[in-house]
Amino acid sequence: MSDDQKPETYGKALLQIAGMVGGFALALGLGHHAFVESLKAPPPAAAPAAAPAPSVSGGGFTLTSASIALPEDDPPYPAGPGADLMNANCTACHSAAMALTQPALSEAQWTATVTKMRDTYKAAIADKDIPAIVKYLSVVSGQTAGAGNRPTTGSGDAGGATG
Amino acid sequence: MTRQTRLLDVGRRRFLSGAGLVAASALASRALAQATVDLHLPGGPSARLTTDAFPGKRGMILQRNRPPLLETPMSVFDQGVFTPNDQFFVRWHWANIPTEVDATTFKLNVHGRVAKPLSLSLADILAMPRVEIAAVNQCSGNSRGLFTPRVPGAQWGHGAMGNAKWMGVSLRHVLDLAGVQAGATVVRFNGLDQPVVDGAPDFSKSLDLDHARDGEVMLAFAMNGEQLPLLNGFPLRLIVPGWFSTYWVKMLSDIEVLSGPDESYWMAKAYKIPTTPLANVPPGAKDFPTEPINRMVPRAWITSLAEGARVAFQPQLPVGGIAMGGDTGVARVDLSADGGRTWSPARLGPDEGKYSFRRFDGAVALKARGPVALMARCTSASGAVQPLAANWNPGGFERANVETTHVVTA
Repeated sequence: MSDDQKPETYGKALLQIAGMVGGFALALGLGHHAFVESLKAPPPAAAPAAAPAPSVSGGGFTLTSASIALPEDDPPYPAGPGADLMNANCTACHSAAMALTQPALSEAQWTATVTKMRDTYKAAIADKDIPAIVKYLSVVSGQTAGAGNRPTTGSGDAGGATG
Repeated sequence: MTRQTRLLDVGRRRFLSGAGLVAASALASRALAQATVDLHLPGGPSARLTTDAFPGKRGMILQRNRPPLLETPMSVFDQGVFTPNDQFFVRWHWANIPTEVDATTFKLNVHGRVAKPLSLSLADILAMPRVEIAAVNQCSGNSRGLFTPRVPGAQWGHGAMGNAKWMGVSLRHVLDLAGVQAGATVVRFNGLDQPVVDGAPDFSKSLDLDHARDGEVMLAFAMNGEQLPLLNGFPLRLIVPGWFSTYWVKMLSDIEVLSGPDESYWMAKAYKIPTTPLANVPPGAKDFPTEPINRMVPRAWITSLAEGARVAFQPQLPVGGIAMGGDTGVARVDLSADGGRTWSPARLGPDEGKYSFRRFDGAVALKARGPVALMARCTSASGAVQPLAANWNPGGFERANVETTHVVTA
């Protein structure tokens, strides 16, 4: 799913909700009959009643085509020096939560991770931006981890970015 | 998404909260599904939101929205040894996940070093002989957030795991239909998910041919009697009993038989562990020999009491939970309330198969009220015993040690 599809989907749902709310308010003014009518239409479901999803059956088991809408993404990175670089370079592939849930990692560990994101996972990060990104991550991860946490003594191997 | 649309979204949320009195209850419950849980990760950050926002999932711990990382709360594991599909953990590597799969046009392709390449429809697969197995699906990095010193990666608590009854067809049956050719050694598996960025490594995994043809590795189209949730890999998922979840390729659409080792990134570089027992190396170690992560190891979790709980004092405090033998069954589970100095055996629940979770229940003797550290230790059918000391590696893989649940009796 591309990012630019989500607001549209969300917007449609909101229009429907707004319709329901508006219908309710109107009903308060028009009395019971209108209220009941307002509940009948428009259909509140995001997906209008449609033909059953195509399916395949065999041996007493049926597999029905599946379609889901994933929720909107997390908020962007918290404001601070380097936040614009984070939002520009890091949100194409993953939510800000991926970085914001990390423990307090050292600058060496963050450098290893950012380098891996560029070299292995092909994030288009300019060399000149890496120090600011590492700085942002080091500061934010220290803050989110809270007092009493120290950078780990890990080797700087970012192998943990998988799994 | 642009900054402007995000601001609009904030405005919409305010609108929603104002309309909450009259909005549909389903909507209200989604907006309010923002309870937090504490994963008790040493040094933090430890708080996570819970979410109902993912279709087919409820009450999940939100680790990451995109690509989704959803963790199962520990309380779910106290309800039974099989994990409900709508509470089963979710983990994707790339954000480009198909959100629609048409069951009538889906194809599984089998190619490479085979006599007869196949393009199988779901109808073809539903017509094949079936196999069923109960098996734990555990992320390689389950419990990574508890590694000390901490390591980068998804900061899971213990809930990146689940147990299900998987039904489908044997991989051996499918490979035999295609006719594996002489010289083939490895089978590679790929799903419908795609990298977001050009040139980034598509997620695929492989198994040695002998393992792939062991009769246990299977292609599942059913999970606990229902089709798989899309987020767990509808319509087909590779099931590798006893092995970590990284091999359990979701939305499996491509099987390639190779005549040599799989040198692609996700086998050759990622998910590598030290070759030492329990993949254990001293913190800070570098340049140790590595191998692809493989078999799971015994583990046990107390689920009847939550970390940090306050409970009424009883001279014999009941303790229950779930255990797994790893790549074999659970032989026994022992309980301790004195830091592992003395142990007493727990009763084992019904045996659902050697790759399944197994319930245990017992009681520990308490002399006085106050804080107590409870432990459950699994011994596998092959005699492997969980160590008290934590294993460590820089990837945060294969946590194996006895877990401790701290409670206060009053």
